[in-house]
Amino acid sequence: MIIGTQKPIGEIWGMVKDFKKVLVFGCNTCVAICHAGGEKEAETIASLIRMRAAQEGKTMVVNHLGAMRHCEPEYFDPVMDEVKKYDLVLSTACGVGVNFLSDRTGSIPVYPGINTSFYGAVEAPGDFKELCAGCGDCILHLTGGLCPIARCSKTLMNGPCGGTNKGKCEVSNEIDCVWYLIVERMKKLGTLEKLSEILPPRNWATSRDGGPRRVSLEHIRAFEEQEAQKSETAGGKK
Amino acid sequence: MAPRQITEETEKYRPYGAEIKETRPYSPCRGACPAHTDVQAYVGLIAQGRYTEAFEVITSVNPIASVCSMICHHPCEQSCRRCAVDEPLAVRHLKRFAIEKSADYRRNKRRLVRKTKDRSIAIIGSGPAGLTAARDLTDLGYGVTIYERHPVPGGMLASAIPPYRLPREVLKEDIDDVISKGVELKTNCEVGRDVQFDDLTKKHDAVLIAIGLSQSRSLNIPGVEGPGVMLAIPFLEDVAFDRKPALGNKVLVIGGGNVAMDVARTARRLGVKDVSMVCLESAEEMPAWKWEVDEALEEGIKISHRWGPKSVRRQDDKVQGLEVVKVKSVFDASGRFNPSYDNDQTTLLEADTIIITIGQMSNLSFLKDSSVKVDERGRVEWNQGTQMSSAKGVFVAGEVVTGPGSAIAAVANGHRSALAIHLHLQGEAIEGNLPVQEKEKISQMPAEVLEKISREPRMKIKHLAPEVRCDTMTHFEIGYDEEEALKEAGRCRGCGGGAVVDTKKCMACLTCQRICPYGAPVVTSVSEIRPEYCQACGLCAPECPGEAISMVSYDIRAIRDSLPSVVGNIDPKRQEPVIVAFLCTHHAGVLGFDLPKNVRRVPVHCTSRIDILDLLKAVETGADGVAIVRCNDGTCKYRDIAQRVNARVKRGQELLGMLGIDAGRMEILSAVSGNGGNPYAAVCAEFAERVIKLGLRVR
Repeated sequence: MIIGTQKPIGEIWGMVKDFKKVLVFGCNTCVAICHAGGEKEAETIASLIRMRAAQEGKTMVVNHLGAMRHCEPEYFDPVMDEVKKYDLVLSTACGVGVNFLSDRTGSIPVYPGINTSFYGAVEAPGDFKELCAGCGDCILHLTGGLCPIARCSKTLMNGPCGGTNKGKCEVSNEIDCVWYLIVERMKKLGTLEKLSEILPPRNWATSRDGGPRRVSLEHIRAFEEQEAQKSETAGGKK
Repeated sequence: MAPRQITEETEKYRPYGAEIKETRPYSPCRGACPAHTDVQAYVGLIAQGRYTEAFEVITSVNPIASVCSMICHHPCEQSCRRCAVDEPLAVRHLKRFAIEKSADYRRNKRRLVRKTKDRSIAIIGSGPAGLTAARDLTDLGYGVTIYERHPVPGGMLASAIPPYRLPREVLKEDIDDVISKGVELKTNCEVGRDVQFDDLTKKHDAVLIAIGLSQSRSLNIPGVEGPGVMLAIPFLEDVAFDRKPALGNKVLVIGGGNVAMDVARTARRLGVKDVSMVCLESAEEMPAWKWEVDEALEEGIKISHRWGPKSVRRQDDKVQGLEVVKVKSVFDASGRFNPSYDNDQTTLLEADTIIITIGQMSNLSFLKDSSVKVDERGRVEWNQGTQMSSAKGVFVAGEVVTGPGSAIAAVANGHRSALAIHLHLQGEAIEGNLPVQEKEKISQMPAEVLEKISREPRMKIKHLAPEVRCDTMTHFEIGYDEEEALKEAGRCRGCGGGAVVDTKKCMACLTCQRICPYGAPVVTSVSEIRPEYCQACGLCAPECPGEAISMVSYDIRAIRDSLPSVVGNIDPKRQEPVIVAFLCTHHAGVLGFDLPKNVRRVPVHCTSRIDILDLLKAVETGADGVAIVRCNDGTCKYRDIAQRVNARVKRGQELLGMLGIDAGRMEILSAVSGNGGNPYAAVCAEFAERVIKLGLRVR
């Protein structure tokens, strides 16, 4: 799940203060579950903006709305007419949603209402933890199911480093040393000897270093394209 | 009593959530009530101090609500889920409280209903079934005439139930409600004597027979004929109509049912010191309600169990007593009433007056030669699916066909008949269109929930002392005062009024499942909140990030939406800070305490229901300070509330901090009830002092 955190209202105010009609647009999936940007949080942010506007003596209309996801058009298309009534959309979706919506609102800007933090799990209610970096080349089968890319401060492939300290990372006492955890885990799995093999340097092309990524599923696209073709030959428009 | 206005609005009051409740299992109290009174709704309204709304809920289905508040056998209480915790809610007594509190309201709302339908219905009998049907049909716009053989309406309520149980002015309120709608009432008009049944069928478009069981059965034993032996109903009628029955000094009542109790306790109140009863059944088997038996025993009435009447012994004409024979068993192997006796064991129960109270039947002599068929056992033949007798257009309701039952069961049957008559007159099919009587009910609380519910004893219902009450026909039960009523209503667990999930909004995030103190939600593809677990505390709704959870019994957004009007316009020249106080109304909360003028109150049934957004909205609306006033921990009827509310307030303060608004403007206050003073005013005033030091907000 994508984890987000709300931006301070001061920062938000800086973005919205010059607009007359602002829509705080919540996204009701990942960021709602982490209490950052669902419709309910959008309502909270809208209330805070209105209060700030009153403090500043500014007259502006600030409302809120929500859609199940900002990353799939079918979810927000039904409310787009409403969305387009505003001068600014403050999307409280993750960065994916903000980007995706930005391409589809014509001349209306879409600004981020939250910070997109990471891919994480809900360790306990209200406690979210980064566990994957989306590097595009998964090696979890080699490391006991625990990810050194996301969870080692140095992204080491062959750890631990000398900075490991009683199971904690030298960066902070609050951070577990994932290489320590990997060793303990592999002991338990009886696969510790696998660690004697040195992992080669990674090809980071599958990660950010290869530029923006895209996944296109041929078997699904093939059907979609055929359909598009058909509709074009029939004179319709996609 | 003359109606002032005509109304065409006959729509019944529907409490919040009425529609959704129909799609879900009923609370056990409601399911047990033959008329399906929404007990959970009205007890909840009482707990919030909304007495007239409680009255509306009660009377929407029950036209003899005042009567039931005095005499109902309250199956709701017997099925209350609190029975498994400690004691059931005192539902009947709470009903009495709500009705008494609404006395002026109800009198002022009596209206003549406009007749919109050119059809008329004759109702024979003005007991619970007849009155109910009269009200329903009048509300539908029909002309209704009631034929009542007694000088006053009410049936057995007026002519047989002794006034110490049902004061007549109480009955009159219910009857006035119905009659004021425009029902034509013909008293002293016995069908078969003063008017002929055939004339009714000719004059009216439909006839409803709702005559109840108004004749006592007698015993076929030697010596029964003659002075000193009387039947229950004539005896009770004498008392009801102020004709002194001739009683001796030693009265024996034959029978073990509730009417026998009425008879014995009435005899006691007529000055007879020595009243005893004899019945076939053991103490456990006797059909009278246990509380009736206990109260009779308190009044010095003796009961001889397991004796059957054999003969009345007389000397000359005078009754000397009842010869009785020992009962071996009352019921046979298959549980049917079939007493067997030990003829070797007999005794004499001395008495100079014997009153026979062994059951009742209807007087159907007026149906002779009519097309309404009566079976060989003397009962009207009827179709339960249509409420109709064998004669087209002649309907039946109440005990005349159902046999002996409760007043509220007769009300339920009266509703059915009224609807059947309406369908019939509109030319629609009746069969299959009458409501289903049996409803699915929420099951008992699971053991893991039971152990989490704090014990809270039922508020005692006070009675006049036995030595006082036996000297008078005055009603012997003392109503709750407001504090008692609020406390008692606060014991309700709100079954069926709890959380529901909008599955379209639920994202299966597990928040509700994680935070519910009672384990009610189970999240699979969406959350499902199990009503048998849910205690309706409302803790989950403000926590749900998808706002997918709402409450059946109240609008979770109502608090927020009400704030602008509650706060009103803020005077920029004000001297005092405007404080919005969210008050826990549980227990002492809705008592008539005063708050300083600058404190705007927002009653909430529990602080668990306050959302961060509610707190922010109060500030946004212009409040200088926001107080959350809790009842103290000792009185909170829910679990794990304080920490959650603390956390929400802390978050609210944090958000205010981002706007440079001092966190001190939002505070949790604790009101300690029971110290005799005004716990809320004091803490609110102190808070206002602190807020004024922070200054008045400028918008």
